[in-house]
Amino acid sequence: MPGGQPSGARRPLDLRKRTRAGESVIQLLLRVAGAVSVLTTVGIVVVLIYDAFVFFRRPEPTFLEFFTGTAWQPQILRFGIFPLINATLLTSVIGMTVALPIGLMIAIFLSEYASPRARAILKPVLEVLAGIPTVVYGFFALGFMTPLLKNLFGKDTVEIFNVASAGIVIGILIIPLISSMSEDALSAVPRALREAAYGMGATRLETAVRVVLPAAISGIAAAIIVATSRAVGETMVVAIAAGAGPRNFGDWGQAVGGLNFLNPFKAAETMTGHIVRISGGDLSYDTIDYDSIFAIAFMLFIITLILNIISQWIVRRFREEY
Amino acid sequence: MAVETQQSKVGYPEGRAFERFLRWRKQLGALWGTLFFLSTLIGMVVLVVLVADIVDGAFGYVALEYRVDPESLVLDYHKNQMVSMPKTLPSEEDVVLVDGIAQRPAAIGFVGYAYYQQKADSVRVLSVDGVLPDEATVAEGRYPLARPLFLYADAKTLASKAEAALFVGEYLRRVDEVAASVGYFPAGESVRTENLAAWTRASGLSGESLPVAQGELSVTGSSTVAPITQRVADSLVADNRFVGQVQVESIGTDAGFRRFCADLGVDLVDASRPMQSVERAACLQLGRAPIEFQIANDGLPVIVSSQNEFVRELTRAQLQQIFTSATRWNEIDPSWPDQDIFRFIPGVDSGTLDFFVTALFGSSLAEQSTPVLLDILTSNISAGRLRALEAQRPLAELSKTELVERIETEVLRPQVAASWSLTDSLLRRTEIEAAAAAMPGTALIFKSWVNWEFLTSPQSSDPLHAGVRTAIFGSLLVTLVAFLLAVPLGIAAAIYLEEYSSGKSWFDRVVETNINNLAGVPSIIYGMLGLAVFVRFLGPLTSGLAFGVGDPSTANGRTIVSAGLTLGLLVLPLVIINGREAIRAVPRGIREGSFGLGATRWQTVWSHVLPNAITGILTGVILAVSRAFGETAPLIVVGASTFVVVDPNGLFAKFTSLPVQIYQWTSRPQPEFQHLAAAAIVVLLLLLVSLNALAIWLRNRYSRRVI
Amino acid sequence: MSISLAVSSSSSIESPQARIAVESRNLRVFYGKFMAVRDINLQVEECKITALIGPSGCGKSTVLRAFNRMNDLVPVARTEGEILFQGKNIYDPDVDAVEVRRRVGMVFQKPNPFPKSIYENIAWGARINGFKGDMDQLVEESLRGAALWDEVKDKLKQSGYSLSGGQQQRLCIARTIAVKPDIILMDEPCSALDPIATLRIEELMRELVNQYTIIIVTHNMQQAARVADYTAFFMVDDTRTGYLVEYGRSDQIFMRPKDKRTEDYITGRFG
Repeated sequence: MPGGQPSGARRPLDLRKRTRAGESVIQLLLRVAGAVSVLTTVGIVVVLIYDAFVFFRRPEPTFLEFFTGTAWQPQILRFGIFPLINATLLTSVIGMTVALPIGLMIAIFLSEYASPRARAILKPVLEVLAGIPTVVYGFFALGFMTPLLKNLFGKDTVEIFNVASAGIVIGILIIPLISSMSEDALSAVPRALREAAYGMGATRLETAVRVVLPAAISGIAAAIIVATSRAVGETMVVAIAAGAGPRNFGDWGQAVGGLNFLNPFKAAETMTGHIVRISGGDLSYDTIDYDSIFAIAFMLFIITLILNIISQWIVRRFREEY
Repeated sequence: MAVETQQSKVGYPEGRAFERFLRWRKQLGALWGTLFFLSTLIGMVVLVVLVADIVDGAFGYVALEYRVDPESLVLDYHKNQMVSMPKTLPSEEDVVLVDGIAQRPAAIGFVGYAYYQQKADSVRVLSVDGVLPDEATVAEGRYPLARPLFLYADAKTLASKAEAALFVGEYLRRVDEVAASVGYFPAGESVRTENLAAWTRASGLSGESLPVAQGELSVTGSSTVAPITQRVADSLVADNRFVGQVQVESIGTDAGFRRFCADLGVDLVDASRPMQSVERAACLQLGRAPIEFQIANDGLPVIVSSQNEFVRELTRAQLQQIFTSATRWNEIDPSWPDQDIFRFIPGVDSGTLDFFVTALFGSSLAEQSTPVLLDILTSNISAGRLRALEAQRPLAELSKTELVERIETEVLRPQVAASWSLTDSLLRRTEIEAAAAAMPGTALIFKSWVNWEFLTSPQSSDPLHAGVRTAIFGSLLVTLVAFLLAVPLGIAAAIYLEEYSSGKSWFDRVVETNINNLAGVPSIIYGMLGLAVFVRFLGPLTSGLAFGVGDPSTANGRTIVSAGLTLGLLVLPLVIINGREAIRAVPRGIREGSFGLGATRWQTVWSHVLPNAITGILTGVILAVSRAFGETAPLIVVGASTFVVVDPNGLFAKFTSLPVQIYQWTSRPQPEFQHLAAAAIVVLLLLLVSLNALAIWLRNRYSRRVI
Repeated sequence: MSISLAVSSSSSIESPQARIAVESRNLRVFYGKFMAVRDINLQVEECKITALIGPSGCGKSTVLRAFNRMNDLVPVARTEGEILFQGKNIYDPDVDAVEVRRRVGMVFQKPNPFPKSIYENIAWGARINGFKGDMDQLVEESLRGAALWDEVKDKLKQSGYSLSGGQQQRLCIARTIAVKPDIILMDEPCSALDPIATLRIEELMRELVNQYTIIIVTHNMQQAARVADYTAFFMVDDTRTGYLVEYGRSDQIFMRPKDKRTEDYITGRFG
């Protein structure tokens, strides 16, 4: 190379830090992408708080009535959230009652009993169940579960819209969630623990239920809480099958008397169901209806947020050390 | 030492006790093992039941109620054609017809066989399609203008009601003679023997000398058969073989069967056609097992004057021409004289004319020729509607099937009178047929609610014509917007969190916890966010008015863009979480190798990490897209329109989506909308399945190339 | 060097009274189509330590796990031949694997205590096996038997994971002897332990052998020479199938191997 350095001579060495413009820009862009998700949360919180605040600033609803009233009747300006929360809890409890035992038992079967071949068939089936849109489950609740309940418990006992049907189908809907998260937790328990149990003469059941299950309990607890949060937030099934109006009560005596608020065969509208019904029509802004659904959504958000935080705390706090 | 061992084992069950204990444990284990298995089975069964329930609703019998009965539409059309031909004389009196024909060499017509026989010297009968009417050709059905006539009874009545059994017995013995006198052909010896055998089986009676019948009978049905029955009854009463009253009504065969199969007060039915299976089913429902007696054959002779020198035989096509279009004989055959055709036909209300038309032209729409169909269509709709149809597509270009379809939608205008699920359609067929037979003017068809028209039609308030076209377009566009937002942002965020984030700065920690929380937020909350931010706050932008492209009717911001952005935010955490997992699965060694060669971080990510993680990322993306495609609640909150009939014309159009459509149909109480919902679910699930199949295919293809 | 080590203290020579605890006859184990070991014939004497040694992959662990049907837990595994335990073939269809494992306990390579308290680790096995006696006494007796009592007697409620590796392994031994098996199988019980912990376990084994028959798999020839009364040497052939080369008293195997392959192995010429 003419004018170049003679071969063998040292090349100049420069190890100084240099700024690479391209790299910095890319890193900034990626950071911004990460920030969008934070903005979403901020957006949700701001929107819900702002509109809930607008709602409570109106003269009609009072804080006290909101939390202690027994009827939600916007037409006559009664805003007690109890009937909505009650319905949400009813459907969620029924759903969890169905999903928890079945989901857990499926998880145990898949992780401790099934042959690899059976598992290879069964797991995708559950994934298919998990991938079916919820509106389809709503159709199923109204078109299959409700007639089934009517046949089982009597046409007059069971209303066409009822909490039980929606609750059971919510249960079916979250079975795959519980079973797949729990199965992950169970499968993560090391083989050595199972061998130890078998080596002492434990049966398969004893190994599964008394060694593996307790060892995976934190993952399972997290699954249960995530599933509860899902049940509380589930919308389409209850909007279709649970009821087309809140189950209101004149006063607390009427609600608690004869356990009316717990009757699973009567219609009741949940928080999510109410939001969908109210916003389904052409909803005008700055009406009390518009503001009220934000107040409900805010309550819903708080409930699910608390559940999610608990679940993450459990996962972190009780992370297994095998 | 042995003793010591023995001692230390105290406390454990041994021998028989241990066996018992072990057996109990194993039984417990088996019990629970079965329970675990059954639970899993429940999961599988639920899936099967879910799919079955949907399929159950998507197919099945439908009873269609036509505004106009298709058969009478055809019949009336041809009758009108015949009556409105020039030089056509309709008369209720057969004698007038026969005499009229006899006097004119250029005349043609048809009458009851008895009347022809009376004037056989002055008129000549023609062969149709080469066959002359006589007892044999009519009975065998070779003569085209022929049909059998029936009397229907039922096993129970014959067995338990003596006067009915005796009446039928006498009827069967006398009918040949009577039928001939009324103008029909006797059914023949073998039919008569068969009839009597069936009668004996049902009534238990036999022999020549029957006791005198006493009581009251009610016979109803065909006006063609009524004269025979009336004459039989009259002769029985006259001979004192029947003491009492036989009431004979002419209400038509259809109505006769319907009454017979719904009302036990009717004892016998006169019928000019055999009973159909749906009618039989209805009868069986009532506990009646119908018994058919063929009592005579009806054959219409086509006659010309005996002075007519040129016509000996005609084909059906020629007959059609003579009675509905030709005016002169040489139009039929050039060798025939150039003379006007004179037509003598029975009156419009006579069953004979109906029979002639049906035998000559067929009764269903499908049997009609294209010009006839076109004529039926144009003569039955308003001029305005006709112009509208012509504007869509010139009617002259339509094929025969298309014309039949047009007549159905424009003229017959069917409505769903009742519908059944697939299970019922398969298992309770007879009951359904009976129920349908009990509904006058309905036709029972097996319908697949999922069909091409369903896929290609827009929403409609008429369940027979409602479709999912707009909903599918809406879903695709909304999902596309969500995809464009969520996928680049999600993958970028995943890269940031896995490759750049230290996990220590406050920003990194906030992003980290936030994503896990976001994934747990109920979807409807995202709908609220979309409503407040995209629809309300950013309305001017999302309605497109700011860009001057929006449609003023969507100025409220409830557009595809708003919905897509909302769903984009909804699936963003899903893309990030799955993307992170895929990136994390790339072995450290690959990154170290790249750094070791002096690559920058981005070079490493771009050239090594992403290509290795792309399969996993793709899977996550497909999951997210499926989720967005099936999501309903947020779209309702954001303001999916309830009734959209035009395809979206861009991103700023108002919209509906497939799941929203399903929700709306499911919420309607009428069963036909439940069928539509089921059909739409079939479409939705098929689309989701193909989306996932595409994902698997892409993944296989891609991962092969990487390796 | 290994040969210079003193061989175990046991002095009894094979006598007619020597009783056989367990015996394998023509044992073959397959994993799917692959034959892992072939034609193993081994008689294990009661209340003695028998060591299984050999190079990696020679199937010695597979043979060990065949003695309490642990291979049943591997879905593709299949066993042929017989294992006679008190005269009964444990692979007979009417024999219950659970019962076999209750009589033939096992200690694993890595200490694997349950994620429970020390006390519960021992009580659990006893409870599932229907123990009706004084649990506290059984726990103490077992921990003493495993030479762990003095170290843990004040923290029985603590998690088993709070112990050191060597202590965890002795806890696993304690929990095994708590269910009073006849035979204890040990699958390289010291491979995850430091030399001092290893020594404690070896001492413990020599004590336990007064009451229990012990079969141990080890990688460590010195360990076999130190603790085992009998030693079985396994090899692997061209098809990767393991087989038994030579079996006899440890002093004979290590001092005067009859087989050339055994000699090559113990003198370190290969493996």
